[in-house]
Amino acid sequence: MINSSSSKQVGQDQQATSEPRSPRPKIKMVKSEESDKRILNKKLKDVEISIPIVYGNVSFWLGKKASEYQSHKWTVYVRGATNEDIGVVIKRVVFQLHSSFKNPTRVVESPPFELSEAGWGEFEIAITLYFHIDLCDKPLTLYHHLKLYPEDESGPMSSKKPVVAECFDEIAFPEPSEGFLVRVQNHPAVNVPRLPTGFTLPPPELFVVPFEDANRKKRGDTKDHPLSQWFMNFSEADELLQLAAARQQVQAYLAKLRRQISMIDGQHQQLKTISDS
Amino acid sequence: MDAKDILGLPKNSITQEKKSRPQKDSQRKPDGISREVYALTGGFPPLIPAIEASQLKKRPPSDEKITWQWLPFTNSARKDNLHLYHWVRIVNGVPPTGDYSFAKYNKSVDIVKYTDEEYEKYLTDPMWTKEETDQLFELCQSFDLRFIVIADRFPSSRTVEELKDRYYSVARAMLAARAPSPGDISGHPLVKEPYNVSQETERKRALSMVLSQTKQQERKDAEVLAEAKRITESRMVARGAEESELPVPSNAGPESAERAAIPSDTVSPSANVQHPSAAVAPSTITVDNASILASLRMLRVYLRTYALDQMVQAASSSAGLRTIKRVEQTLQELGVNLKPRVPTKAVCAEHLELRREILTLLNLQKQEAEGSSYRDGSYGDTPGTPKHLSHGGDQDRIFVPDMNFAGERIGKRDQKRKAPGRLSEAPLPAHKRPRKLKAADL
Repeated sequence: MINSSSSKQVGQDQQATSEPRSPRPKIKMVKSEESDKRILNKKLKDVEISIPIVYGNVSFWLGKKASEYQSHKWTVYVRGATNEDIGVVIKRVVFQLHSSFKNPTRVVESPPFELSEAGWGEFEIAITLYFHIDLCDKPLTLYHHLKLYPEDESGPMSSKKPVVAECFDEIAFPEPSEGFLVRVQNHPAVNVPRLPTGFTLPPPELFVVPFEDANRKKRGDTKDHPLSQWFMNFSEADELLQLAAARQQVQAYLAKLRRQISMIDGQHQQLKTISDS
Repeated sequence: MDAKDILGLPKNSITQEKKSRPQKDSQRKPDGISREVYALTGGFPPLIPAIEASQLKKRPPSDEKITWQWLPFTNSARKDNLHLYHWVRIVNGVPPTGDYSFAKYNKSVDIVKYTDEEYEKYLTDPMWTKEETDQLFELCQSFDLRFIVIADRFPSSRTVEELKDRYYSVARAMLAARAPSPGDISGHPLVKEPYNVSQETERKRALSMVLSQTKQQERKDAEVLAEAKRITESRMVARGAEESELPVPSNAGPESAERAAIPSDTVSPSANVQHPSAAVAPSTITVDNASILASLRMLRVYLRTYALDQMVQAASSSAGLRTIKRVEQTLQELGVNLKPRVPTKAVCAEHLELRREILTLLNLQKQEAEGSSYRDGSYGDTPGTPKHLSHGGDQDRIFVPDMNFAGERIGKRDQKRKAPGRLSEAPLPAHKRPRKLKAADL
């Protein structure tokens, strides 16, 4: 979907990137605020980055320890689809719970973005994602219906095996800033499309990093998360295969129908000329 | 459904009952009048409340004394000073004032009046004598320009169009003569849109022809039009593939409307009826998609599922609700999730394309079905309704059953067609859609 009408773009970029570099050959790390901001804020069209995420909940029945108001222990979360660290994109997540919970607005400031609670009822949770300011200043809200009870109502509830409800989606940024692109171009959590030909990004040293990655103590990725054994698998390949097969069928049928119509039209034409004369 | 109720959980039926009863109760309660009276008026609340139910119980205000008297009256609309009598409602001894209440409905048209000199100067016409013109104008005055009546009463036989033409040209000439400058009257409808006799005669002739068309002719026309549409559509698609930019659909609208108004009965199809409206269909797809993409780019961040929803909506905007349901049904038959489970960019693009292809297929099938029924009617000996065609139809034709992917049913030629394992061989439940002809029926 990205059309490579980028010849104009390349020209502009080359101009832009050459400006700060040429008058200041000796300075590498120390740069003036304005030029930083200019480069950081420059938006790139035709380059859409996407972050595949999975959000949902895992819920355990408490079994013998279950009380009337706390029958399940559940965790709602947002994770990278491949369990990579999405903290590079998401600054914080706000989970809005049902008003019967104390302090229903729960803020999670660092990955892994999850929230655990105990309760008995299913309700809709509003999950608001706040991104890093250089990426996007507008938050995005997802809605997830908390699932505690299994599909099969009559089956026995087990306290060992949890009920899992997950949903896959992709967050798309149609015009990311150059600064951000440089920061994430090789990050496993982010899908950066192939840049239009001839397009080069300036080297990362030009950019001042807005936050300190290294200082974060906790691991951001969820690869070894305690709940990771229950995470669902989302395979793009399977779905693509399914869709391709379906399309092939429909196309074949369409072709056949068209052939039939043209055949019938041919017959019709003949008959018409006969009947008209 | 009954079986499910019997075998399923009993609490379902109880909750259903509870829900239906309170609804019925609220319907039965009219305000201010007894239930029997309410039932007299239909028993249901009216679409527009004509009379407030509370008003029915109102008594007239007690401080007024009402009497009725038999009094004479005159009508200002009459010129003969006729005195008639009628009952008048007197309030507190004061009779009502004012003209007869129906006098205001006596409207008449202002007819142009000319003097003899003006006639000599501007209005002489080889086709009309002064006497005839005078007679015409008298009748126009007395009958308020009701030309059908005037034509009936006119002493010599003239058609309605001729009379209209004479009247309007006289009116125009008088207007032009009396106006101080031609610019003043250029906005007047008589001058801006002059009466066109030939066009009017032609229009009326065409209308009467449409009215008197036999059923067979009608079908023939529709079939010819459909054929032409298909031809132009295929031409537009071929051209549309080259031009990727948006053609302007607004031009197509009024043009096609005008063409549709003029029936073409004996003329060959492609010459007369160029259907620019056909161009609208493929072009709107590209228009909507481009605008959706543009609007998505405006958002700084969005979810892939949201983008897919927007594009699906745009693609189905041209189709009716029923068609959309059929598309979804087809997707289910093909084993595809209505909302993709893993909505990545590639998956969403594929999904959208699949939907579009299914839509094309369904539309083509619908067209083919319509076209074939007309075709049979025109040269078959039995001019019955399409339902009867199933028995008198063309033997060679393979009528394709609706969305039946099973190979065996389709006809003699397609014996080797193998459906992939995912699809079921059984046909779709017949009650869900009107039953189309299957090869087995013949």
